[in-house]
Amino acid sequence: MKTIKVSFNINNEDVALDVRPYETLLETLRERLFLTGAKEACGLGACGACTVVVNGIPLRSCLVLTPEVEGATITTVEGLREDGKLHPLQETFMEKGAVQCGFCTSGMIMTAKALLDRKKKPTKKEIVTTISSNICRCTGYKKIVEAVEEAAKRMATA
Amino acid sequence: MKDDLNIVGKRVVRSDSLAKVTGEARYTADLTFPGMLVAKVLRSPYPHAKIVGIDVSKALKVPGVKAAVSGFDSYGVKWGVFRYTQDHAMLHTDKVRYIGEDVAAVAAVDEETAMEALSRIKVDYEPLPAVFDPFESMKDGAPQIHEQYKNNINIHINIDVGEVDRAMEKAYLVREDTFKAAGEAYAMMEPYAVVASFKNGYLDLYMPNAGPHVRAKALSNMLKLPLNRVRIRHINSGGAFGGRSEVAPGDLVASLLAIKSGRPVKLVLSREENATSSRQVHDIIATIKTGMKKDGTILAKDYKVIYDGGAYSSTGPIATSIPFYVYEECYRFPNVRYNGYRVFTNKGIRGMYGCHGRAFLAGNEAQMDVMAKELGLDPVDVRLKNGLKSGEMTATKSKITSCGLKETIMTASEKTNFRKRWAKPSRLKGVGMGCVAIMCGFPMGFRSGSSCYVKINDDGQVTLVTGLVDNGQGNESMVIQVASEVLGVPMADINLVNADTEVTNLDPGAYSQAAAFVGANAVRVACENAREKIVAIAAEKLKVKVKDVGLKDGSAYSLKNPDKKMPISWVVREAFFRGEPITGTGSFFPNIDFEREWVTRPWGQMAGTFSFGTSIAEVNIDGETGKITMPRFTSAHDCGRAINPMAVEGQMEGSIQQAGVAAITEGNLWDGGYLLNPNLLEYKVPLACDMPDMDTIIVSSRDPAGPFGAKEGGLTVRMNAYSAVACAVANATGELFSELPLTPDRVMKMLERKKGVKG
Repeated sequence: MKTIKVSFNINNEDVALDVRPYETLLETLRERLFLTGAKEACGLGACGACTVVVNGIPLRSCLVLTPEVEGATITTVEGLREDGKLHPLQETFMEKGAVQCGFCTSGMIMTAKALLDRKKKPTKKEIVTTISSNICRCTGYKKIVEAVEEAAKRMATA
Repeated sequence: MKDDLNIVGKRVVRSDSLAKVTGEARYTADLTFPGMLVAKVLRSPYPHAKIVGIDVSKALKVPGVKAAVSGFDSYGVKWGVFRYTQDHAMLHTDKVRYIGEDVAAVAAVDEETAMEALSRIKVDYEPLPAVFDPFESMKDGAPQIHEQYKNNINIHINIDVGEVDRAMEKAYLVREDTFKAAGEAYAMMEPYAVVASFKNGYLDLYMPNAGPHVRAKALSNMLKLPLNRVRIRHINSGGAFGGRSEVAPGDLVASLLAIKSGRPVKLVLSREENATSSRQVHDIIATIKTGMKKDGTILAKDYKVIYDGGAYSSTGPIATSIPFYVYEECYRFPNVRYNGYRVFTNKGIRGMYGCHGRAFLAGNEAQMDVMAKELGLDPVDVRLKNGLKSGEMTATKSKITSCGLKETIMTASEKTNFRKRWAKPSRLKGVGMGCVAIMCGFPMGFRSGSSCYVKINDDGQVTLVTGLVDNGQGNESMVIQVASEVLGVPMADINLVNADTEVTNLDPGAYSQAAAFVGANAVRVACENAREKIVAIAAEKLKVKVKDVGLKDGSAYSLKNPDKKMPISWVVREAFFRGEPITGTGSFFPNIDFEREWVTRPWGQMAGTFSFGTSIAEVNIDGETGKITMPRFTSAHDCGRAINPMAVEGQMEGSIQQAGVAAITEGNLWDGGYLLNPNLLEYKVPLACDMPDMDTIIVSSRDPAGPFGAKEGGLTVRMNAYSAVACAVANATGELFSELPLTPDRVMKMLERKKGVKG
């Protein structure tokens, strides 16, 4: 089968791969790189469970073809820890009880991370609007919003 | 009961959350094994057809295909929760009964090969007339879906208490209404997935499930393997909500493919397959007749409820009963008649749902408000007057042993200024209240209880072994918290081995609201058993009386002189020297009347205890479009005692989303046997921007038998939130709803009806 060479930086590591032309980034992450934090829940971009940050932008990796991310810098939930220390969002999701079944959690955290990276002090409304791109079936979102608010505070004072 | 608890009742970080925020938590689709194959399923394109033949030989010739199976490769053993409901072989050889039904499957080296092979399977069908409406289905001459069920009536539940007809005659006010509701989608975020492997005659399975032991039993029956050769292992579950309670067709498909190929097989359903071919929720039509005295006392209830049961029995008798029971466990019905019919149609397989029964429950509550209004009464007073109290019996003879219903009604209504606002609703704004009770575990025979084994290791750390399962609600963390309290060992020092059928003992599973009351109770008993052994040795070593020994932070200490202490690890090592390691076993079996049977003897103690709850919704209606917005939602829940209040709040908030907001947005749409909205674009799961401000109130009734007084946490909201919404819309429009969800077009019709009455 014809393959395409693609290289990118993921979680601070350079990788070079031969992928199928129609391979999605989600498939590459999960099946080639064993980064299974991003989940497939809908396969058509409706739910956000597969969200990863590509060049600072939260993308649904089920809708991205891997050959498209040539040269990109990608962060997945597995790459959030720095020197073994949890990202503030990871801490606050735990502390605020924002995690139940956990299947949406990776995507939710990555969506929130992209928001906090581009906006230091988002309003509650901005947080609600932003995470409305992701579906959670368990929590009713209240504790997720609280977790993002708290993480924003911590990041502002850090 | 001592109340100086160290960890139970605290807002602790859940034990499972670290793995989930780092992406390390493993779910079934994340698993890979050497030589693992990909499975794909060929599904029926017909709602009803005779299978003339299935030929998989060409599929097997595709390079890379390692196995292909159909019903002809299985024993044809039919699954059913009860002996009299065994009608689902999972892979049938006689006919198909719904679009999307599993017909054949392949396992191949990759997905492309598997898809190619599927296209080579030849199935000869002879299409049969199909039926999609339960009323049509019950008519003489309708297509017969199963031979053994006359008029396609799968289950008829008949409950008759007191003298309903006479009581109706005596009633001051009688009202009869019919309410409909579309079935919802479970829409758990993780679509169905399974990994199966078969080695040396032993079958090994991973799949998200709500009860590994009952699942293993079903598969052992279908595959004619002894129970100890079917091992369901522990894995994280991406949500269940009732949709993973029973054995699934994919379980059998993946098992057969693993047995045939000798290699591990992974089957992951797409979101659409998950909607069409895993479990669905019943559509319900409920006719409710109520007789009330002038003072609002309910004299009689007469029910006829039709459940669109889809193609197979599933949990038939339970699904046909539960909406009634959660209501009769809440209110006093001196005379009540319930006729519930579960009717087969050519639609997908249907099971229980956390929010099961919204047409019935919301219908009852909304009708109660309309009757209260007609009698000039306040709905709060009517609920308080008819609500059951601790010590009372339900109509079908279940005793209520702890009850915070009144407190939930009072706190929720006071916090929302409910009485005043309900009496004088401003234009197109309304408030509504819904109440319900929930059985904490229902009768499942000898599977109704749970057991736990605990061992304290020589470093003082703890291993807990229990059949209890977690579908995301926090059951695992809950029992670690309970063990931490009893043993005085930090949660971080406790490891849980659970939901693995070859290691753990029977547990009722996480679908009958039994985990806190039954599962956590077994853990408490086992840990108390181990604690006694620790304390005996510590008392001897510290030279104090047994009653003066406390356990905290991994140490045993003298209560009178806390400086006098020793690490629990020393106690454990001493116990090893004595040849009596510190272990504990414990079981909890709830007080249930096991003569009770869903169809033939629908009375007797249903569960060990019941939880209670009240929800209040506040709605605004756009008179131009019929769109409902919900600025605030308040829920009060008597969960006995919250073991982890943060987790209970999370359950309540999730329920406001999945039952409350869903009453406006969610419903499966059908065109005959075609499900029109099987994906998450067209099926509207509420988003963050759809949510009201939520106020959750935990009421403690301290159940005498619950672990530290606990009962189930959160499900009442799942079964009363839609009632609150329906009542609020009735309050705002002056009209009863006729069908859920309350989409703008239906709300506009309600507004037009109201105008019509006025004009």
